[in-house]
Amino acid sequence: MRIVLAEDVFLLRDGIVRLLESYGHDVVAAVADGPSALAALIDTSPDVAILDIRMPPSHTDEGLRVALQARQLVPGLPVLILSQHVEQLYARELLADGLGGVGYLLKDRVFEAEQFIDAVERVASGGTALDPAVIAKLLTGRGQHPLELLTSRESEVLALMAEGLSNQAIAQRLFLSEGAISKYTTLIFGKLGIEADENANRRVLAVLSFLRSPRG
Amino acid sequence: MSGENGDVNSQRSSDGGLHAVITGLGRSLILVGLTGVCPALWAGAAAWFFAATGSAGGTAGFLVGIVGASVVPVARPLAQAARKRLSLWTGETLHASYRHVVPVRRMATGYWWNGHSYQRLRFVALAQRWLRARTRDPVAWLDVIWVVASPVIVGVAAAAPPALVLMGLVGLMGPGLLPVILPVVAVIGLSVLSIILGLALAPLGWRIAAPLMRLLLAGLPLVGSHRLAALLRERADLTQAQDAELQRIARDLHDGAQVRLVAVGLAIGAAERVIDTDPEHSKALLREARDLSRGALSSLRELVHDIVPPVLLERGYIDAIRALALDVPVPTTVRTVLRERLETPIEAAFYFAVAELLSNVIKHADASEISVLVERQGEHVVATVTDDGRGGADKRLGSGLAGVAARVAVFGGSLLVDSPTGGPTRVVVEIPCG
Repeated sequence: MRIVLAEDVFLLRDGIVRLLESYGHDVVAAVADGPSALAALIDTSPDVAILDIRMPPSHTDEGLRVALQARQLVPGLPVLILSQHVEQLYARELLADGLGGVGYLLKDRVFEAEQFIDAVERVASGGTALDPAVIAKLLTGRGQHPLELLTSRESEVLALMAEGLSNQAIAQRLFLSEGAISKYTTLIFGKLGIEADENANRRVLAVLSFLRSPRG
Repeated sequence: MSGENGDVNSQRSSDGGLHAVITGLGRSLILVGLTGVCPALWAGAAAWFFAATGSAGGTAGFLVGIVGASVVPVARPLAQAARKRLSLWTGETLHASYRHVVPVRRMATGYWWNGHSYQRLRFVALAQRWLRARTRDPVAWLDVIWVVASPVIVGVAAAAPPALVLMGLVGLMGPGLLPVILPVVAVIGLSVLSIILGLALAPLGWRIAAPLMRLLLAGLPLVGSHRLAALLRERADLTQAQDAELQRIARDLHDGAQVRLVAVGLAIGAAERVIDTDPEHSKALLREARDLSRGALSSLRELVHDIVPPVLLERGYIDAIRALALDVPVPTTVRTVLRERLETPIEAAFYFAVAELLSNVIKHADASEISVLVERQGEHVVATVTDDGRGGADKRLGSGLAGVAARVAVFGGSLLVDSPTGGPTRVVVEIPCG
C-alpha cells in the first residue's frame, strides 16, 4: 500500500514509518505539518493517509481539517486520524459524508503493531476503524436511547462492530462462534430498527449514522 | 433604629425639653471623651517629658514621635466607636468601606498567603496584613485625620455646653474660689447665665458635631470602593481555587504517570538483564512495559483534559461545549448561532462554568433532558442551561452553583438561578466579552 504519513514529532513519525515498512507498506511521503500533508495527499493520491490531528502551523485540529478538505477534493479518500484524545464530535465530523474509509484512533494504538496495521488496512479498503474509546463514549453517553435496550453482550458486539471488525474477528475476540455473533447482530439490528446487511462497512455506517441522528 | 425613635420621642413628649437637655449633655460628654482621650494622653506624656527634661525642642520631638507611633493603631477603634455612637443617636449608618481583609491561609508550598504576598511565617503574614490594612487603605488614613482633627472641630463644639454648665456651677458654688475681680452679684449673674446658656446649647452641641463626623467618618465616597473590596475577595477565592488545582495536578502526576513511568523503566531494565538467558521472560517484561506506558499515557490524557479540554484549545468554547454535551450521560442539546472566538480566558471561564452547571444537573437534578442555549446579549455571552429535573437548586447552599457564581464573578459575570421545587430549573450564566 502507498501511504502518506503526517506527524510533527520526529520520533513518532520515524517509528510509524518503520512500523509500516516492516509490514511491507510503502510510505510515499512523511511530512510534519498540515499544508504539506494536503499537498502530498493531492500529489501522490495514496491508498491511505495517516494524519496526526494536532500539527503545525495552527497546532489545533490541523490534521482533521486536512482530512476533511482532502475528502472534499477526493471523495472517499481513506484517512486515518491519530490523536492523543478522542472526541465524539470529531468522529461525527469524519463520518458525516457516510463514505467510509475513515479511521480515528488514539496514538497509543500504534503500540499494538498488528492491530494498528490491521486498522490501517481496513481503512484503506474503505472500512472504518474507530477507537474503542470513542465507541465507549458513544454507547455510554446516551440516556433514553434505544441503545439502552441492548443487553451487555449485545452492546459488546455492537462496539466491536463499530470499531470495524468483521463477524469472524468479533467471534475471535469474544471466544464465540461466528454463528452466535451473526445471531447477536440480527438481534441488535432488530432492536435498533436497522435492516441487516452482509456488508461489514455498510453495517458499521448504518450503526454510526443511527447514532449520529438526532434522538426521536 | 431604637436610637432614632428614642430621639424623636424625646423631642415630642411633654418633658421633652428636659430629656433632650440631659441626653444632649450625656452625648456631649461621650464625644468629649472619645475625641479628647488621645490629645489628653499625648499632652500628659509631653508634660511629663518636659518636666523630666526641661527641653522644649526635645519635648516637641517626643510629642511628634509619640503621636506618630500611637495614632495608627488607635485610629480605627476610635473612629469605629464614633461611628457606632452616631448611628445609635441618629439612626444613620456610616459605612466604613475599609478594604476587605483576606483570611491568612496556608498554601500548598507551606507559605502563608494574606491576600498580598506569601510569607514563610504565619505571624509575619498576619502583621503585614494588619499594617497594610492601616497604611494602604484611604479609609484608614481618614480615621487618622479624624483622631487628629476631631478634638478641635468636634470636641470643642461638643464640649461647649457641658463646659458652660460646669463653669456656672463652679462660679455659683464657690465665688471665693475664683480670683474675684468682679462684684459677687456679677459673678452669680454670669454663672447663672453660663448655666442657662450651657443647658440651652446641650441639645445642640452634639448635633453641631454630627455633620462634621459625617464628613470624616462616612469613609470616602470612593467610587467603586465596594467593588474593589469585592474584587479583592474574589481574587483571594481564585487564588485558593488555583492553589487547590495545582495541588491536585501535582498529586495526579505523582500517583499516575510518574509511578507508571518508573515501572516502565524497571520493567525494561529487568528485560535487558534476562534477554539472553530467558528471551520469553524478557518478552513478557517488555509487554508489561508497553502496558504500563499506555497506562501512563491515559492518566496524562485525563489530566490534560481536566486542565484544558483539547477541543477548547483546538476549536474554542462553542465546540468544546458541544463535545461536552455529547459525552454527558443525560441527553443534552446545544443551540447556538455563535461562531466567533472570544479571548482565551473568557472562553475558558465560560466553558468551565457551563461544564460545572451540566455536572451539577447530572449529579443532583435527576433530569432526563438538558438544553443549553448560548447567545450574545449586548456585551455579554450568555448560556442558559435548562433541565427537567427536580428543581430546588439554590446558589446559596454552598453548592456547586456558588462556586460557579464566584468564578464568573472574577470576570465581572453573574449567575441567575430559577429553580422552583419540582423543576424545571433554569440557570443563566453571563460573562462580559467586550
